[in-house]
Amino acid sequence: MNPFLAQATYDPPLTFWGRASGSGELWMMLGVALLVGFGLMFAMLQAPARMRRPIVATFTFLAGLFFVLAWLWPKAQGREGGDLPRDGIEAVGFWVEDATGRIGTMATVLSAFLLGLGAYSLLRIHLGRIVKKQTDWAFSVVLLVSMLAMMVVGYGSWYQQEFSMKDTDFGNRANWTAIITAKDFLFDGILQKMDGAMFSIIAFYIMSAAYRAFRVRSVEATILLSTALIIMLSLLAVVDMASANFIANFTGGDKNHFMSNFTISEIAGFIRTAFQSPSIRAIDFGIGVGALAMGLRLWLSLDKAGGSS
Amino acid sequence: MNLFIPWLAQATPVKDPIVGTQYYHLGWVMYLVTLLVVGFVIFNISRAKGNTNLFIRRIAGLNAIDEAIGRATEMGKPVLMVPGLGALNAISVQALNIFGYVSRTAARFANPIRLCCGDAAVYTVAQEVIRDVYQSEGFGDRFDPDSVRFVSDRQFAFAAGVSGIILREQTAATFFMGEFFAESLIFAETANSIGAIQVASSTEITQTPFFIAACDYVLIGEEFYAASAYLTRQPVLVGSLIGQDWAKMAIMASVLVGSIANTVQLNQTTTQERVGDGTYKEVPARKLKPSETVVGMIFAPDDPPAFETKREKEAAPESAPGAGN
Repeated sequence: MNPFLAQATYDPPLTFWGRASGSGELWMMLGVALLVGFGLMFAMLQAPARMRRPIVATFTFLAGLFFVLAWLWPKAQGREGGDLPRDGIEAVGFWVEDATGRIGTMATVLSAFLLGLGAYSLLRIHLGRIVKKQTDWAFSVVLLVSMLAMMVVGYGSWYQQEFSMKDTDFGNRANWTAIITAKDFLFDGILQKMDGAMFSIIAFYIMSAAYRAFRVRSVEATILLSTALIIMLSLLAVVDMASANFIANFTGGDKNHFMSNFTISEIAGFIRTAFQSPSIRAIDFGIGVGALAMGLRLWLSLDKAGGSS
Repeated sequence: MNLFIPWLAQATPVKDPIVGTQYYHLGWVMYLVTLLVVGFVIFNISRAKGNTNLFIRRIAGLNAIDEAIGRATEMGKPVLMVPGLGALNAISVQALNIFGYVSRTAARFANPIRLCCGDAAVYTVAQEVIRDVYQSEGFGDRFDPDSVRFVSDRQFAFAAGVSGIILREQTAATFFMGEFFAESLIFAETANSIGAIQVASSTEITQTPFFIAACDYVLIGEEFYAASAYLTRQPVLVGSLIGQDWAKMAIMASVLVGSIANTVQLNQTTTQERVGDGTYKEVPARKLKPSETVVGMIFAPDDPPAFETKREKEAAPESAPGAGN
């Protein structure tokens, strides 16, 4: 198999969305897809400016329609490999089911192209900074050298492990080549550790943010401070035990006594179930309905990008 | 089989059911609710067209946008916008809509902007949106292509990169809107340390408290989606917002009715219990379980039992050259 033109292999049955690896039919479909793709691109470039919005709207609608169908169309029950649909509804259901994975792959391929544009943005900005010797241009050199080094060792390591040394036992470090060792050092040895360091900074930021938030400046801040204090204390075992013992002494161990509701863990539980959970659910409902409305406007191209007034 | 949309039904064979029970096991309720919300939104969009006199309550965080940009202009420092780490989806597009408004105002005052993206697709769309905004305002020459940047798609590399920009360029106003995760507090605290005015909103519930603790203004929950309607007053957006409000009122009504219905039903007794194959057996009198109430059965229906379906098989395909390589 050519690693630069990887083709998936399929177990029969083959569908409209997949043909046998290496078959003439597959190559023909690749050719047709390329021709159609270039044709569409050319047509888009030639289309008058006023036609672009309707074209984009049509494609957006069709793409959205597919996922609406994937969600709404009845799923075939008990489908097995090689099954033929019993009627038109099942035929559409089968087609949509088979296509879902393929459409996801198309989105991944598009993302890969866009990642190239992202890399181009980085190169343009940082090369410009180096050429113009702007402030801190040395950091741009570090960034570009790191980027290049990761690309070379990442691809080299993948190629060796997947193709040129496929049968080697890489579980044994003695079999590692220089490029695999370099990739391990750069990725696991440096990048992952730096990620961990950035993550750990959050602990200090939480302290400074909490300090500011908990300063008693208003009624709201006082309520926030009080409830946070109760929740935090309830998580301390020694405070929880002391509060439970104090209430137990007061009630004489009667768990049905009204005062049994006032242990710190009971109060914290009440705050969580009566205030926190409903508030979070209410916010979740708002976000969910908002996302649905936004998705609908995008699907039907009712939104004008950029907040045009 | 439900009577209304037979082909949407998830068949639940029930022998000797309690009268009416079969109608509770409705897998299509969630579809119905979704279609109802869609109907509310579309109806109100059509209703709002041509009607510019629709009320939206004051949202402090959105009123602060102009103030923040004005402050940045006075200080001669850039405005920073971050649409979060999320992929190109409704949330990112909404964030870019808000940033379009911010950029429009910044362009009028010739104020520099920085828009940092953590996703390549969002970066591509952001660049087009911001360029369009400058051109539509007649300030195409003021648009700096480097003002919209792709930083990294790794979470903490992105956090480090954006924090570096905040500190090096001493941004005077920062807007964090979109999907944020653990990096939210790194951004907010870094910007706070240099005294930047901050307006933030995250659709991630877990990050909203961090923003509230560290930022000057926070849009909570649906306020994020209301922003573009609030800022532009486009009839389509305002109509959509009213449709969302209708949907929320319907949800509130269902919560209220469901609470009352559950309170009543959970105190009722039953002598029948549903078994796995959908039939009912006699049991000693006991109170209903939450899963046996009308609300429980409508909103959390049991999975339909599996059943066999006989279909014809297609002919075995001829082996293709190279197949299985």
